[in-house]
Amino acid sequence: MAWKSLYWEDVEEGQELPTVTRDITCTTVIAGAIASRDFTPVHHDRDFAQKVGLKDIFLNNATICGFVGKYLTDWTGPEGELKEISFRIQTPCFPGDTMTMTGKVVKKYTEEDQHLVDVEYEFAVPQGRNCGGTGTIALPTRGH
Amino acid sequence: MGLEFYEELKAMVGEEGSRLVAVDEVYKPMIRHWCEAMQDGNPLYTDEEYARKSKYGDIIAPPTMLLTWTMPPLWPPREQPPHPFEQFLEKLDKAGFYGILITNVAQKYHRPLFPGDHITFTYKVTDVSPEKKTSLGNGHFVTTTFIFTNQKGETVGTQSLTVLKYRLGP
Repeated sequence: MAWKSLYWEDVEEGQELPTVTRDITCTTVIAGAIASRDFTPVHHDRDFAQKVGLKDIFLNNATICGFVGKYLTDWTGPEGELKEISFRIQTPCFPGDTMTMTGKVVKKYTEEDQHLVDVEYEFAVPQGRNCGGTGTIALPTRGH
Repeated sequence: MGLEFYEELKAMVGEEGSRLVAVDEVYKPMIRHWCEAMQDGNPLYTDEEYARKSKYGDIIAPPTMLLTWTMPPLWPPREQPPHPFEQFLEKLDKAGFYGILITNVAQKYHRPLFPGDHITFTYKVTDVSPEKKTSLGNGHFVTTTFIFTNQKGETVGTQSLTVLKYRLGP
C-alpha cells in the first residue's frame, strides 16, 4: 500500500483538518482500556460506573491519546512526526456516542532544522466536548 | 479546608519517589493490540517492510503509548516503597476529597521507542491548585509529571497528568 505524505510547504495556517467520525461502542472503550493496561473499573465495568454516578463506562485518557495520535498522523501520513500533544478532557465519551473529530492548523514555523506545524483539535460527543487541545508535528519538506 | 491545608499540600510538591522499571520491554504484539484498539494503520507501527525502509530502520511504538509501557501489573502487586504521589492523594482522601477525575493530559516525545527498549521512569507532583469550586464539588487540581528514560539513559519523553480531587456532593 502506498502512503501519502503531507509536506510542510503544502500546509497553511488556518487550514482545516478533515472531519472524522467514529462510533464508540463498549468494545471500543474496553479494547482501548485494556490495550493501554488501564484496569480502572470505570473503563470496563458498567455496574461499577453506574454505582459511582456515571451513565456508563467511558473512554480512558490513554485511548484519547491514541485517538489524537491517529487523527494527526492519518492527516499527515506516516512521515509526520508527533512532537507533543496536550488536551483537556471536558465531558466523558460513552458507548453509543458518535465522536466527531475536527481540527485546524494554527501555526507553521521552523525551529532548528525542523519544519513544524501546531494544530488545534476538538473531539465532540452529543453531550458536549469530550476533549480539546493542541499538538505539534514535524513534517517532511519537498527539498529532502 | 483552609489556607493551612493548601500550604501543607504545597510543601509536598516536588517530592520524588524512587526510579521504577517498566514490567515489560517495548514489544511488538502490545503495539499491534494498541493499533487494533485505536484503529491506527500507521505502517511505522506494524508494517515491518515499510518500517525497515523508513528513517527509523525498524518498527517504532506509537508515541502516544508512552504511559502504557509503565502501567503496573494487574497481578501480582508490584513491590515498591510507598510513593510520595500516593501519600499526596491519601492526604486529600483523608480531608474528604475522595473523588478523582483526570482533566488534562500532555505528552512530549523526545525519541522514538523501538521493540526491545526498556523504560525506567520517575514521577512527582509538580503542581497543586488552591481549593476550587467545580461542577462536581470543591476540589484541588493536582498535576503529576512523569519522565521516561530508555536503557541508554536517554529521555524518551515526558507526560503530565492533571487530576481533580474533589469532595462529592454539596
